[in-house]
Amino acid sequence: MNYRDPKLRNLLACEYAMGLLPSRARARFERLMADDAELARLVADWQDRLTPIDGTAPPAAPPRRVWRSIEQGTLQRSFSATPPAGLLQSLAFWRGFASTAAAVAAALVLYIALGPGPARAPAVVAVLADSSGTPAFIATRGERAEEVAVAPVRPQSLEAQKSFELWAIAGGPPKPLGLVSAMPGKPLLVPASAVAAAGTVLAISLEPQGGSPTGQPTGPVLFQGKVLAN
Amino acid sequence: MRGVVRRDRAAFAALYDRTAPQLFGIALRILRQREEAEDVLQEAFVAVWDRAASFDPERGSVMTWLVTVLRHRAIDRRRRRAHLEDRLGSEEDLLALTAAASDESDRGAGLAALQKCLAELEERPRRAVLLAYAYGYTHEELAKRLTTPIGTVKSWVRRSLERLKRCLDG
Repeated sequence: MNYRDPKLRNLLACEYAMGLLPSRARARFERLMADDAELARLVADWQDRLTPIDGTAPPAAPPRRVWRSIEQGTLQRSFSATPPAGLLQSLAFWRGFASTAAAVAAALVLYIALGPGPARAPAVVAVLADSSGTPAFIATRGERAEEVAVAPVRPQSLEAQKSFELWAIAGGPPKPLGLVSAMPGKPLLVPASAVAAAGTVLAISLEPQGGSPTGQPTGPVLFQGKVLAN
Repeated sequence: MRGVVRRDRAAFAALYDRTAPQLFGIALRILRQREEAEDVLQEAFVAVWDRAASFDPERGSVMTWLVTVLRHRAIDRRRRRAHLEDRLGSEEDLLALTAAASDESDRGAGLAALQKCLAELEERPRRAVLLAYAYGYTHEELAKRLTTPIGTVKSWVRRSLERLKRCLDG
């Protein structure tokens, strides 16, 4: 196609703004537009003409879980850029876990699962144990120190139609931090500020699928652990 | 938006709070299915976070950019539905749509001008334009819905938009 032809340029700009281009043609057009300010201008002109139609869609409040997944999705990206590794070199790890052999075994599972990587030292922030004291979830801090990853050390059983929800408890009412997967490998990422205070308790309760409808735990607390002093 | 480019999460949350209801409404109109609309809204905001640095205020407003990212995702999702029949809704309220003006000054004025120009189009070409823009119909879906050959539908849309352009710019 001759992308210098003014008629064609106008037509493509219009169909792009309308949303009528097939997906691949649209992707091609976006690449063209990135280096062609005049083409981008044509598109913007069409968008300005049509955008009043957007305002005729009745606004609707999306459920809170949408924002929670957006936060997860975007934190996940900054976290996965710096894979946690070198856990065994972490001093905080050994300080925090002189306690049980089970904890060490659990950390080994995690270490093996994560594999060797750059020599960063992600600190263990907390270990959440079940009622028998067996470590079940672990919270670790990444290189960027602005987020904390929470994941099970081994697959946990979870009933259908239920979710694990993580809470931070520091004096006041529990603060919801998001839903934790029952499977390792997909950590829940929470802002480090939410678990900054030593002595904060992290707890995981059993909730209806999608999380507590009330914003406070409604089911039993299955796992908990204190945030360790740094 | 500058805050979002700086990776300021509070600015990102504020942008979401301000724009999500309108964007969710747009996604719902295209998809007619809440779960899919939720997915698309989520994908769009994650993409916005990822691509914030490429946003160029010279090329249009933040809202226009958000709407573009969202609509394209919603339209793609709609096109992936296996059966053509599942994609067609019963949008009989197209004139109600153009009448449901928001009374906010700027947008209201823009819509009034557009409505006036839309009213000058013949009925079926106008429906084609609105079904495509507001509901995300493809040319193929328009042809099916309006029981008209696809080539005719394409030229309706093209000619209608050129007429709209002359009417609005003139």
